[in-house]
Amino acid sequence: MKVDFWGHEFEVNMWVGCLGGFLIAIMSSMFGFGGGPFMVPLMTVALGLPMYIVVGSSLLAIFFNTAMGTVRHMQFGNFDLLLFLAMFPAALLGGYFGPQIAKRLSPVVVKRVACVGLVLLGLKLLGLY
Amino acid sequence: MKVKFSVLPLLALVMMVLPIIPQAQAQETASAPTITLDKTSLANGGEITVSGQAPAGAQVYVEVYAADKKVRANRFDGKKDPKTGKIPYKFYLTHEMPAFYKIFVPKDMQPELDKAKAAGGGWKYSEVLKKTGANAAYSEPAKIKVDSYQATIMASILGSRGTLLDPMDEKATKSESMKLVKGRFRSVNNLLGASVETTPEGAYTAKMKLRKGLAPGKYNVIVTAVTARTMDGDKETVKKVKSEVASFENKQTFPTVYLGNAGTSINLLWPFLLTLVISIFGVLMGAGGGFILNPILVSIFPALPHTIVAGTVMPTVLFSQGSGIYNYSKIKFINWKLGIGVGCAMLVGGFIGPKLTELITLDQFKFAFGWILLVLAGLMFWQTTPGYLEKNKKEQAILKEFKKRAEEAAKGNQ
Repeated sequence: MKVDFWGHEFEVNMWVGCLGGFLIAIMSSMFGFGGGPFMVPLMTVALGLPMYIVVGSSLLAIFFNTAMGTVRHMQFGNFDLLLFLAMFPAALLGGYFGPQIAKRLSPVVVKRVACVGLVLLGLKLLGLY
Repeated sequence: MKVKFSVLPLLALVMMVLPIIPQAQAQETASAPTITLDKTSLANGGEITVSGQAPAGAQVYVEVYAADKKVRANRFDGKKDPKTGKIPYKFYLTHEMPAFYKIFVPKDMQPELDKAKAAGGGWKYSEVLKKTGANAAYSEPAKIKVDSYQATIMASILGSRGTLLDPMDEKATKSESMKLVKGRFRSVNNLLGASVETTPEGAYTAKMKLRKGLAPGKYNVIVTAVTARTMDGDKETVKKVKSEVASFENKQTFPTVYLGNAGTSINLLWPFLLTLVISIFGVLMGAGGGFILNPILVSIFPALPHTIVAGTVMPTVLFSQGSGIYNYSKIKFINWKLGIGVGCAMLVGGFIGPKLTELITLDQFKFAFGWILLVLAGLMFWQTTPGYLEKNKKEQAILKEFKKRAEEAAKGNQ
């Protein structure tokens, strides 16, 4: 499939994109996260697209998944309104303050810290410590 | 000699009559235990003592359950049946599980509970009930209505639970209910406690500790006194008497609230603060907060079912994604063809995923999530390697340039 973006034309292998998106969507809706950190590498590495086309478009693709996942989780009775009401305003506030703090920090340092944190959390979930 | 001869036929007569009118017989030989609670209400957990008089020499069990709060419990049976060699693929679901259920057993049975604890997550509830004799007291969850579904791989893909099977008989329901109870409450400590003390005369007391964060509302307490057990081959006949139902109230005040779907109470400040910190951190590292929020929530609130966590965290990001899309679309920074194309595939994936959440147990959830996080950590690390940063610098510069142009173009249109 050919994709046109700001006067540049890109050739996209939709088979890879759809299959990858499909698998990421199953995983992310099953475990209840967004899926952005997996979608962006999929689009940049596997599809070879530049970052500037990926940021917005991957968000749109993920939105489909989140919306559908939300509806389905509600159907299966997995949604708790009170817990949602406690977390939702916090997520909005976080979305507001986050970018302001981000400006003052080096993204590389943040990512390295996140890396260590994720490994620790992952090992804890696997019951290794 | 004379006495022996006259007693034996009488005993035989009693034995023959027993199976016919066991209830009447039990009432004749032993009176029902009395029951008194030292408190009528608790404030978000605490200690309550139940005491009374049971027949002398009886084993006393105390069954406690939440009377008006019910929760959902489900179990997927995907294990190979050792007898038939087939995998049943059955899905069991109930909406009538008491939000709290615990049996207190005589104090001297602590070693049995310790043994079960040592077995870790694989302990068998029904076996421990049998060993401690508490299955004589196990009654409330045995009455719940359990739906069973014949699941197939195809049905799971289509997102259905499968075909609803005929209702199970009483015995099957009871045995399945034990598995559901174990799946819902998981640990030995949640389900059993050894704290009943009895004097030789039959007076009993039991201190019952209720932890914080349980369902509020009415709790019922029933005492079962087992006066005799006789083994007939494999089948055990138990003579028991039950007390009347005593109740107490578990009270809670805001911000601790009861989450009806999750079947647990929680101080709402905690998820609020957690979400705030984690979503800020999520923005910083460029990944949604769900990656960290989900595992942390299931780790620190073990009473929250993972299905609820996954199903409730997901909608919280819906709004921020929507506003992000709006902002990008304003500066024409979305390729709709690409986004919707991949989006359609993700739509199908999002349809299937939530179904799978209820098929897995919490341990499987944690295991899979652990690996996902390790992969994510790998991706994060890759994004800090010099080669990636070099490439990224160029792309960020282009991105900025494009954004500027796009903003100007958007302004020009207005």
